[in-house]
Amino acid sequence: MLRRRFKWKSGRVVVEIPPDEQEMLRHVLPQLREMLMADDDPALRRLAPPARPDDEEAEHEYRDMVGDDLLRTRLEAIELVENGIEGASLDEDQVGAWMQSLNALRLILGERLDIDMIGNEALTDLDPDDDRAPVLALFEWIGWLLEQLVEAAMNEFDD
Amino acid sequence: MTAPLVTPEVDTGEQVSFDRPWKVICWDDPVNLMSYVTFVFRKVFGFSKEKAHRLMMQVHTEGRAVVSSGNREKAELDVFRLHEHGLWATLERDD
Repeated sequence: MLRRRFKWKSGRVVVEIPPDEQEMLRHVLPQLREMLMADDDPALRRLAPPARPDDEEAEHEYRDMVGDDLLRTRLEAIELVENGIEGASLDEDQVGAWMQSLNALRLILGERLDIDMIGNEALTDLDPDDDRAPVLALFEWIGWLLEQLVEAAMNEFDD
Repeated sequence: MTAPLVTPEVDTGEQVSFDRPWKVICWDDPVNLMSYVTFVFRKVFGFSKEKAHRLMMQVHTEGRAVVSSGNREKAELDVFRLHEHGLWATLERDD
């Protein structure tokens, strides 16, 4: 029976992911980590877009200032998620780490698919024999998890 | 003895940035979930539900929205936080 993977309980978000989905996360998160560390995949541009596309020099300055902070926080977030896959009770910062990691996975998978096709009939009618069909299934599942996490975490706010 | 003539080096760029505010633009992208973008706006900027939703819809329908402004340091930090969350953000001078 389908049930929520993230629930709001006493000011925290409780993670309850079934074993088969835990396995899937244990499979995809290390891939995201390797990709981030190798830093040679064009899809990563989506995770660190230019801050100053109008000014090359300013963009360099921005990159120098940020350094590897973006990479470091992503890797820390992935580790936190990996440690809580079997079950966890998340505070606000930990919720942020889960959201950032799930969203990063989704963005990378979105780059793998033809992003212009997302939400498009052509993609929803994808032939199961199409190479992108498993990627699309993964993309949709991660999106489903993220929606639930956002819904549970909304309780953080007062209104 | 003649005192060396010192020409003070004035970084006009920084002066301008001090006086003139910078703005942070969030751009539309086809992947990020609408609920997620709204959530991130609330969390990063402390916006009300209504304001976050309105800005998310502006990004979605108009392709971009100014989500914050301030001095350069603040704008850069805001861009960094949006990038951390996977949103597509840039900063520019508020001309």
